[in-house]
Amino acid sequence: MISNLLLVLSWIFILFGVIGIFRFKNMYARLLTSSKIDTVAFITIIFALILRTGFSDLTIRLVLILIFILMTGPISSHVIARSAYLNGIPLKEDDK
Amino acid sequence: MLIRATMGLLILAMIAVLVKMLKGPTIWDRLMSLNLFSVKITLLISLYGVYTDNSMLLDVAISYAVIGFLTITLLSRFILRGGRQK
Repeated sequence: MISNLLLVLSWIFILFGVIGIFRFKNMYARLLTSSKIDTVAFITIIFALILRTGFSDLTIRLVLILIFILMTGPISSHVIARSAYLNGIPLKEDDK
Repeated sequence: MLIRATMGLLILAMIAVLVKMLKGPTIWDRLMSLNLFSVKITLLISLYGVYTDNSMLLDVAISYAVIGFLTITLLSRFILRGGRQK
């Protein structure tokens, strides 16, 4: 029951992730929201699947994927933001 | 049934990310959408693996997560170095 609830909750996160990509003007804001919301959606779905599969070999693999993406998600977003910043995208546009 | 609906929504989100990849003004938007796309593919594979109770698919999802992460870091280092004019 809880896993179904979590799956429905993850729908909202996925939708907001997609909306977040198209709505923001500033490139960094887009980068921030999309990576953050996407990681949260990932956590919700994987947690729902862990609850659904109970204790089996699937759960061990799911926990492995969860830990791995939790570590590398923010790192990949950081790497993109760093290369964007160093190559000269101004942090705050003047028009706002 | 819910897993099928989640997979459908994920596919729509992936199509939206692809559209953003085409439309994105800067290279880093494309990199960001590539990053999102690979995370979503990992999600889709693990969802399908749990849906069909096939544990080998989850191994595929783990390896794809590793490859996706490496792609992003290497591509952004390539762009940081200003491409291949050396």
